[in-house]
Amino acid sequence: MAEERVLSPDIQFIKELRAVGGETVKKCYQCATCAVVCPMAGDDRPFPRKEMIMGQLGLKDELITDPDIWYCHNCNDCSKYCPRGARPGDVLGAMRAKSIKEFAVPKFMGNIVTNPKMTIVALAIPLVIFLVLLGATGHLRIPEGEIVYSKFFPIPYIEILFMTLVGLAGISYIVSLKRFWDGITSKNGKNYIKKFDDALLETILEFLPHKKFTKCETNADRKNGHMLVFYGFVGLFITTLWITFYYYVFKKHSPIALSDPMKWFANLSALALLIGILIILANRGKDKGVNTKTSSFDMTFIVIVFLLAITGILTELIRLLGIAALAYPTYLLHLMFVFYTIVYFPYSKLAHMGYRALAITYAKMTGRDVE
Amino acid sequence: MEKKIGVYICKDCGIGEALNIEQLESVANEYRPAVCRVHDFLCSQEGVQVIKDDIQNEGINTIVIAACSMRVNTDVFSFDPLKFVTERVNLREHVVWTQPPQDENTQRMAEDYLRLGIMRAQKADPAEPKTGELEKTILVVGGGVAGLSAALEAANAGYKAVIVEKAPELGGRVLKMKKVLPTKPPYAELETPNISEKIKAVQEHPNITVYTNSQVVSIEGEPGMYDVTICSNDAVSIKEIDINEEVKKGGPARFPLPECSSPETIKAGAVVFTIGWKPYDATKLEEPFGYGKFKNVVTNWEVEEMASNGGIKRPSDGKSPKNVVFIQCAGQRDENHLPYCSSVCCLTSLKQAKYVREANPEAGAFIIYKDMRTPGLYENFYKSMQDDDGIFLIKGEIIGLEEAEDGTVNVKIDNKLLNTKDIIQADMVVLATGMVTNMVPEGREPKLLTQDQEYIGDIVSKQTEDGVVEELVPYPIALNLKYRQGPEMPYLKYGFPDSHFICFPYETRRTGIYAAGAARHPMDAAQAAMDGAGAALKAIQCIERTSEGYAVHPRSWDQTFPVFRLESCTQCRRCTVECPFGVLDEDEKATPQEHPYRCRRCGTCMGACPQRIINFNDYNIDMISSMLSELQVPGEDELFPFIVGFICENDAYPAFDMAGINRLQLPPNFRLIRLRCLGGMNLVWISDALSKGVDGIVLIGCKFGEDYQCHFIKGSQMANERLGKVQETLSRLMLEAERVKMIQLPINEYDKLPQILNEFAEQVKEIGANPYKGF
Repeated sequence: MAEERVLSPDIQFIKELRAVGGETVKKCYQCATCAVVCPMAGDDRPFPRKEMIMGQLGLKDELITDPDIWYCHNCNDCSKYCPRGARPGDVLGAMRAKSIKEFAVPKFMGNIVTNPKMTIVALAIPLVIFLVLLGATGHLRIPEGEIVYSKFFPIPYIEILFMTLVGLAGISYIVSLKRFWDGITSKNGKNYIKKFDDALLETILEFLPHKKFTKCETNADRKNGHMLVFYGFVGLFITTLWITFYYYVFKKHSPIALSDPMKWFANLSALALLIGILIILANRGKDKGVNTKTSSFDMTFIVIVFLLAITGILTELIRLLGIAALAYPTYLLHLMFVFYTIVYFPYSKLAHMGYRALAITYAKMTGRDVE
Repeated sequence: MEKKIGVYICKDCGIGEALNIEQLESVANEYRPAVCRVHDFLCSQEGVQVIKDDIQNEGINTIVIAACSMRVNTDVFSFDPLKFVTERVNLREHVVWTQPPQDENTQRMAEDYLRLGIMRAQKADPAEPKTGELEKTILVVGGGVAGLSAALEAANAGYKAVIVEKAPELGGRVLKMKKVLPTKPPYAELETPNISEKIKAVQEHPNITVYTNSQVVSIEGEPGMYDVTICSNDAVSIKEIDINEEVKKGGPARFPLPECSSPETIKAGAVVFTIGWKPYDATKLEEPFGYGKFKNVVTNWEVEEMASNGGIKRPSDGKSPKNVVFIQCAGQRDENHLPYCSSVCCLTSLKQAKYVREANPEAGAFIIYKDMRTPGLYENFYKSMQDDDGIFLIKGEIIGLEEAEDGTVNVKIDNKLLNTKDIIQADMVVLATGMVTNMVPEGREPKLLTQDQEYIGDIVSKQTEDGVVEELVPYPIALNLKYRQGPEMPYLKYGFPDSHFICFPYETRRTGIYAAGAARHPMDAAQAAMDGAGAALKAIQCIERTSEGYAVHPRSWDQTFPVFRLESCTQCRRCTVECPFGVLDEDEKATPQEHPYRCRRCGTCMGACPQRIINFNDYNIDMISSMLSELQVPGEDELFPFIVGFICENDAYPAFDMAGINRLQLPPNFRLIRLRCLGGMNLVWISDALSKGVDGIVLIGCKFGEDYQCHFIKGSQMANERLGKVQETLSRLMLEAERVKMIQLPINEYDKLPQILNEFAEQVKEIGANPYKGF
């Protein structure tokens, strides 16, 4: 038993939690059905029941540093069987969103990204930057001749702009994750039975085949969607490195020929991302025998990824069709979504990657993991 | 009246196949009935017509129907009980359905039952009810929500009602409440009480008279003819006495009733008792909850009063509290305080948590509970309160409370949900104290009011010929009945009036007096209002049925009355003491004084009377004795052991019916004689049976003691007590005590009958045959 503590519920936190998808948190009456049906819950650890109680009590500090909320893969078996309609799956999703928002630095960025009303602003920022940059350098016009995007947006601009932003986002993400790690380890103890490196490697190896996802029943289809999105992003990341390598080492400039293996790889990755996100979207709308709600946090991100993939593919297709007047604006839009994905990474849904990896690593280090 | 007996034997339902009907007919004919007929299908229209024709043409006035259980076809075999005696011999359920067909012992059993039935009919006379024009005013004691609703319902039904309320105004506790629990769908929101409209309706109703600031100082009489003395509070004088001292000085073992300097007397036909409740005395909760010690620890009732008088304020500084902790079951479900659950406090705390939240949106209301109990549709209210951001429901136990300098109370809890020890810094702590019926006078501990005593009162030591005897002297509280058994109603437990509160709500152990509201058992305002209406209907029913000479409850068809042959009375007081309903008073010489309309016709007095002077027309000592003498006790080589069973007709008799319906095979050794209640068991029958050569006797009655099931409260218990005295009879007869056994049988345990009967038969077999056999 933990030592005595002063119980001081954070009513504001409860309000916020309910506003970002945890609307039903107060409905739980602790029957523990969720903890029984959850494939991720260990026999000696009540979960997600415990989190529902903590949510009702507004125990913000404990919740955001609770590694267990990251254990939940949102398969919603719990929500399906909940006799009270408390939808623990959705509530835990909201808790993760709150956790990301709490740890992400700088904080105002978190506010912009997590607030659905600010999405327009979040998208407007890159667009304005691009327009100002292009306008100032006299590029804000449709270039003549063969469609080559670097004629419109010169590679060095992109490199400098995005490298800087990626650097900043990367630093922010690392700091956020560090804060998160410090939070969970100081709150939950450091009785390690495994080393960090070993545990992290184990976690990553588990992620690759999406092992934990396969435990889901209610929402089993989501595994395929998530996997395609995951590998789509990985593929596109590799593509980016690949093209940079071409550019600087082989001096091979875009557009790359369709026969090039890199192009195959890139197109496959883009397709994986598109199909994956479509599966996810379709799955959200499907009747799974449980009434769940997609939070705005999740929905915004799904839509952004979809637009990212579709504008990316269109950028290529329209270029091949040779419609310059459409191609360049589409490219600009695509860059806007790329910007969103990369720069807002630490504050968006995508950030869950690192949080979940760390939480499961921690679980493995402390022997809390469920195989 | 000249008896003209008609015996009708039905052959349907397997009776004809299992029994030798001709043989049965010849047994019947031994009694020389006017007619004896066999019918293939007696409960058919033609069958019943045969009986009706005989009544018409042969002048039959005593009808013996040997067919099915008396509990079925009651509408078919229905003959005016004021003109005819109808006796049902249960050949179907009790014989052919539980015994092998075409068997010597089965035939023997059927013949015995036919003999018993004919003898019972011979010894019975039609009922002679006492009827009369009775007073129809309903007295309502207590003008809270239950009383108001009782008076209104009665008045709207055309009866006059008189409310006597001790307080200066009507409305009781609900009047002091800010909000009440939801009364209409979806049962999710608090409501403003409509008590003021109710009071207005009562005050304006032409059929209702209201006495406020007044009390009932005496009630005497019986249903339909109560004389009620009402007295204004300031004219009442109560003589305080030390009862032990009084008795030592030779005074009566009785508390004096209140006296009145300006009494007003009214007549009433029935009484509705709605004297309400009071909160449990929280000063007893200093440990462990700090009430009285810490300023900011208050009770739920105090909070309710604060809320309706300008808002909840901290007693220490008058500020509106931010964090409020509600401690559920404070002094409840606790053997040291109230051992029971008041069933309302969880809802009250949810309600008051809402007050706290409404006053301050930043406030937190913590409810620390053992179990949240929100019965029925109040689940919806619970859900809607739980949904409030700032209402925190925590299953936990209180470890301790500490007061900080600024008046904050640190409540340390064992949080059972999270398995943590938490401290809540409370601006105010509310104790959810329980409800005590106003049957319990101030200063009395409800927990001490266990079932061993029936009345709230003092124990006095009385010097008698047999040495010092301890006697319970009941207190006068609210009714001030001039009854021999005391001024108030007996309680069941913790002061709540005795009645089977599930089977027989509103009933009490004083016929014509119906309890309702929180005086009856803990309940909320809506339930109390409904309860008042229910009790009013019972009161009306009582007056109407009594005036036609019917028993009110539970033998509501019965128009017989006990007849006392007082010239043979020895003033032993057994009947006046043992009557579970306080029917009989005593004159100075202790001769019983009848109050027939208080009687429920259970026959407990008949069983109690050693002189056998109390009898009913169709149920009497001689009847059962004659039936016993009709038994053809078989020789040891024919059927052994031979056992008589006296069974209660409310539960044991139908249990045997159910055994029959389920075709359970029962041993052939038993002959069952039904009694209205085992309380009517007279010991003379035991010696009658044993001297006749019966090997064993079994009494099968309802469960008694805690959670008793007896329809007459104490019948089976009384029979059991009398059995303790049977030892004497047995030793006089030089017989073994084990030959007589009492069995408590809940009706749903009919399936245990084969085992119970076989075991007892085995036991009697081991003892051996009754040496009187054959004499």
